[in-house]
Amino acid sequence: MIRANALLVGVLLAATAMVSFAPLPVAAQQRGQRRGGQAAPPPPPIRRMPDGKPDLTGWYQADAGGANYGLENKPANGLIPPSRGVVVDPPDGKLPYQPWARAERIERELPHRGYDDPTAHCFVAGVPRSIYTPSPVQIIQPAGYVVMLFERMNWRQIPLDGRAHIPDDVRLWQGDSVGRWEGDTLVVDTRNLNGKTWLNEVGDVLSHDAKVVERLTPVSGNRITYEATVTDTIAYTRPWTIRMNLDRQDDELLEVACHEDNGDLQHLKDVRDEYRAKNKKE
Amino acid sequence: MSKRMKKIGILVGFLAAALAVASPAIAHHSFAAEFDTNKPVKLTGKLTLMKWANPHAWIYIDVVGPNGKVTNWALETSAANSLLRRGWRKEDLKAGTVLLVEGWQARNGSPTANITSITFENGTRLFAGSSNPAAREQ
Repeated sequence: MIRANALLVGVLLAATAMVSFAPLPVAAQQRGQRRGGQAAPPPPPIRRMPDGKPDLTGWYQADAGGANYGLENKPANGLIPPSRGVVVDPPDGKLPYQPWARAERIERELPHRGYDDPTAHCFVAGVPRSIYTPSPVQIIQPAGYVVMLFERMNWRQIPLDGRAHIPDDVRLWQGDSVGRWEGDTLVVDTRNLNGKTWLNEVGDVLSHDAKVVERLTPVSGNRITYEATVTDTIAYTRPWTIRMNLDRQDDELLEVACHEDNGDLQHLKDVRDEYRAKNKKE
Repeated sequence: MSKRMKKIGILVGFLAAALAVASPAIAHHSFAAEFDTNKPVKLTGKLTLMKWANPHAWIYIDVVGPNGKVTNWALETSAANSLLRRGWRKEDLKAGTVLLVEGWQARNGSPTANITSITFENGTRLFAGSSNPAAREQ
């Protein structure tokens, strides 16, 4: 029965999320208003660990508005869903691409480049993409760490003991993260990224020069405001920032064994090979 | 299925229908490359196999054509865990179950489709699509 109720709540949440693509209902929620004029109950307070630091533990889903299909605001493109746009800096919501990287990004959205998205091969999504793939994350806080367990069967461990980053010549899919508390905000500094990841399925670009600073600020017992600032001088003309909420829900991680039956990969390869055959230079 | 589950199923069906109407474009890059939005399909057939697999689960149904010829269609859905969260249950999807499915056919014209929903004979409709950006799971 608990599962049935959880399912019902989940579907209602999904329906609400879909209907509330327009900003109005969200704004109404923020004002604490319900239909009929009743005040909504106040959100639960921030949870805390025994040492007084915020307790972020829980199962979260990002309210990313389709960031996995584009960080900028964009309409649907065939079967690629629309994106609400999560870039808050620059203020115009556009990523400050270097010209070469913008050209690369445009090409990556074409069908014959789908094969090149590392996640199509079941590689991990990297940072910050792991947060906003449409798949949940479980956060746990063992002493001295914050650990993120992603349902797509990968993880990030973030030590909080002030250690230095690993040597620059070690490069990793999820990078090397170290964290610290600034008041109630968990600040996570990530370097040593390998430059092989895409930022989403349409191929927003991240080079090996990228450094990512994430800020996770709990605003209630059930919500974290998530920001990531990316500094990448190879692909961008200036740093940029995305923002979204992570909503805590009553659920648990399940298994996504991506290699089990990844039949799409062959189809993507076929599309790519067909394109290459047609465009072969004599 | 208990009465309560049936009621929940009907509600889920209505909501899934609302979701499907609200967002016709619910798939991702590989689907865009593989399936054709200009080839919508609506098929009724008997389930022959449900493959609960990752990263995408598959349903196979026998569809009887106008000439009586039976074609086995392969229907791609979301990941197994997403289906579970959307109310899909193994016990409801046994071989022989009659389903109405809606989706888009493969570009290559084969009897393969990416589907957005399944509807049981009792009218219960479940969302099947992948990567719905507004839904809470993939």
